[in-house]
Amino acid sequence: MMSLLKDPVLLAAALGTSLPFLSMAVILVFTRQNQRLSATISVGSVSVSLLSSLYLLITLYGAGAPVQYEFPWLLADDIVIPFGYLLDPLSLLMLTIVAVISFLVQVYSIGYMSGDPGFSRYYAFQSLFAWAMMSMVIAPSMLQLFIFWELVGLASYLLIGFYYEKWSASQAGKKAFVMTRLGDIGFFLGLIILVLGFGDLSIVRMNEAGQGHQIPQYLITISALLIFGGVMGKSAQFPLLTWLPDAMEGPTPVSALLHSATMVAAGVYMFSRIFPFYSMSPEAMALALAIGTVTMLLSSTMAMATYDLKQVWAYSTVSQLGFMVMGLAAGGYFAGVFHLTTHAGFKALLFLCSGIFIHEYHTNDFRIIGQQGGRKLMIPMVCMTVGALALSGIFPFSGFFSKEAILGVLANHPNKLWLGAGLVGALMTAYYTFRLIFFMLFPRGVAAAHGVHDAKGSGHGHDDHEGEHHGYIFWTMAVPVMILAGISVVLGFSQSSLESFLMGHGSVPAQLAASGGEGHAAAHDGHGIGHYALLIGAVTMALGGIFWAFMEFGRKGATQEGFLRAFPVVERLFAARWYMDAFLRAFLDKVIYSGLTNVFTRNDRRVIDGGIDGICFFTVAGGRLLSFLQSGMLQYNLLVMIVAVGFVVLYFLLA
Amino acid sequence: MNSLNVYLTIGAALFSIGLLGVLQRRNLIGMLIAVELMLNGANVNFMAFNRFLAPDPTVGQIITLFVMGLAAAEAAIGLSIILALFRRLHSINIERAQQLRG
Repeated sequence: MMSLLKDPVLLAAALGTSLPFLSMAVILVFTRQNQRLSATISVGSVSVSLLSSLYLLITLYGAGAPVQYEFPWLLADDIVIPFGYLLDPLSLLMLTIVAVISFLVQVYSIGYMSGDPGFSRYYAFQSLFAWAMMSMVIAPSMLQLFIFWELVGLASYLLIGFYYEKWSASQAGKKAFVMTRLGDIGFFLGLIILVLGFGDLSIVRMNEAGQGHQIPQYLITISALLIFGGVMGKSAQFPLLTWLPDAMEGPTPVSALLHSATMVAAGVYMFSRIFPFYSMSPEAMALALAIGTVTMLLSSTMAMATYDLKQVWAYSTVSQLGFMVMGLAAGGYFAGVFHLTTHAGFKALLFLCSGIFIHEYHTNDFRIIGQQGGRKLMIPMVCMTVGALALSGIFPFSGFFSKEAILGVLANHPNKLWLGAGLVGALMTAYYTFRLIFFMLFPRGVAAAHGVHDAKGSGHGHDDHEGEHHGYIFWTMAVPVMILAGISVVLGFSQSSLESFLMGHGSVPAQLAASGGEGHAAAHDGHGIGHYALLIGAVTMALGGIFWAFMEFGRKGATQEGFLRAFPVVERLFAARWYMDAFLRAFLDKVIYSGLTNVFTRNDRRVIDGGIDGICFFTVAGGRLLSFLQSGMLQYNLLVMIVAVGFVVLYFLLA
Repeated sequence: MNSLNVYLTIGAALFSIGLLGVLQRRNLIGMLIAVELMLNGANVNFMAFNRFLAPDPTVGQIITLFVMGLAAAEAAIGLSIILALFRRLHSINIERAQQLRG
C-alpha cells in the first residue's frame, strides 16, 4: 500500500484501470435508480482513467525499458504466473486509445441513451467494458490477458444484448459470445501447451525466449496456431466473422466502442502483443496472412450489398481488421498497430455519426435517411464524410497513412498476390463507403426501398424523445463526434513520432531488431524504392473506388442501383454473407445437434443414467433380500445372538 | 458335597433355565422373570467364587449387590415398557409386537 502511494506511475496505472470497476459496482449496487448520478460516476471514473493514461503516456514516453510491476499469483513447482502491470509503448498507446474512445463514447451516450429505462445498467456495463479492456491491455502475462479477454467478451455480450427484450438482440449477444468462445478454446489450449512446454506465460519472457530460440520450433508453431484461434474469434476473422455484423443490435455507441477500441481490437492487440513470438513461426504467420486476406475480401463484398447504415460500417470493420492482420502477418508490426490506432479513431467517428442519424430518423436504412434529408444535419454529415475519407485512405486523413504503411509491408512480401489483394480491398473499401455517402448526399426517389429494412432497422429502443434535437442532447453527441473528426484529420501526421515511440529502445521490435529476427525489415517498410509507385497506386485505387461509386450513385441521372443489380445471384450471395450464416446454422443443426448432441444425449441417458439406475436397482434388491433376516421376532434375534456367542466361545475353547 | 462344583452347577442350571425361558416364553412377564433367573445364576457364581477362591471376601458380594440393584432397575424399566406395549396392543404376547419386521 505504501509503495502504491510512493510511486506515481504505479498509482496511475492502478487507479486508471480499476476505477471503472468500482464505478460499475457502485452503480449496480447503489445508484441504479438515479440515472444522472450513475452517468456522472461512470463518466467521472473513465475520465480519471483517461487522465491517468495520458499521464502514463507522457511520463513514460521517453522511458527506455518497459516498466513492469509484477507479483506472483499462481505458483507451482516450476511455473510462476504473475499478476500486475506491463507498461511498454504498445500497451501505453493502446491504453490511451481505449481511454479516449471510452470517454468519448460515454459522453456521447449521455445524449444517445437519455430516457432509456436501462440507463444506469448501460453505464454499469460500459464501466465494466472499459475496466476489462484497460486491464487486458496492460496485462504482463498471457493468463491475465486471457482472463480480462474473457471479461471483455462478457461485457460485449451484455451490451450487444442490451435490449434483451428484443429477440434479435438477445440472439446477437448470444451469437457473439458463443462464436468468440469458440476461438477462445483454441487460445486457451495454446496457453496450456505453452505452460506445459515452456512453463512461463509472461509476455516479455515469451517474446525474448521466442526470439532467442529457447522454445522449440514445433511448440511455437502449435501454440501460435492455437492462440490465433482466439484472434479469429475476437477480431472476427474468416470462419468466425458473422457475429460482428449482428453485434450492431446493441445501442449505436456500443457498436462504436466495440468496433473501434475494444473487443475486436483485442484480437489484433493480442497478436501484436506477442508479435516477436509469432514471427518465429512462419507457418502461423502464413496462415494468419491468408485468413486476414480472405476476411478482408469477403467482408468488403458483403458491405456492397447491404442498405443498413451500421451494417456497412460493421462489414468495413471486419475488412479493416483483416487488413490489420494481413499487415501484422506480413511482418509489419508498426503498420498493423498504426492501422489499429487510426482505425479506432475513424471507425468510432463513423459509428457515432451514424448514431446521430439513427437517433434522428429512427431507421438504419441509409436510403431512407437520405430521402428524409439526412444531409441537412451538417455536423454529423461532414464528420461522417471525414470518417469515410479516412476509411477509404485519402490524403490527408489518418487512414491514408496507415493503409499505405500496410500496403508498403505487403509490397515487401515476396509473394505479390497479397499486395494485389490489398489493393483490391482498398478499391472495394472506397466503393462501398462512398456508395453510402452518395446515397445520403444525393437522395433519389427510391420508393421501393421503404419497408424493406424497417423491420430490422428502427428498433433501437427509444422513440420517446421529441423535439430536443438541438438541446444539450444533440451537443453531447455532436461534440465527441467533432473531436473524433479532428483526431482523424491530424492523427496521420503523427506517424513518424508514433513510429519512433513504438519502435524505440526497449520496445518489442527493438528486441526483434537486436536479435536479427525477420521482423527487422518490417521496421523500415514503406520507405523503399517502390515507395512512391505504391503510394500512387494506393491513392489511385481509393480515388478509383470513389469515382466508381460516384458514377453509379452520385452523379446526376445515376440510377443508384450499382453494378450488383446486374448480377442478382452475386448480390444475393453478398447480401447473405456468402451463406456463411446458413452454413454455420446447417453445420450446427446437422453435425452438432443431430450428430454429436444426439450421441452425447444417448450416452447420458443410456450409459450414465442407466448405470446409476442399475446401481440403485441392485442396492434395493439386495436390501429386499437381506430384510428377510429381520423377522421382527425378538426371540429369534436373541437366539441367533446366543448361537453366535456360543460359536465364539467354542472357537476360543478349541483354539 | 460342600465344594465349588456344586455351586457352579447350580448357577449354570439357573442360567440355562433362564435362557430357555427367555427364548421360549411368549409372555413378556415370563421373559422378564426368566431374565431375573439368569441374573441370579450369575449371582450364585459370583458368591461361590467369592467364598472359595477370592482372597478378599468382599469383592464378589459387592458385585452381587450391584447386580441385584441392576435387576431391580431392569424390572422397573421392563415393566414400564411392557405396560406401554400393553396399552398399545392390548396384549403382552411378544408375537404381537412385530412391527419392525423387514
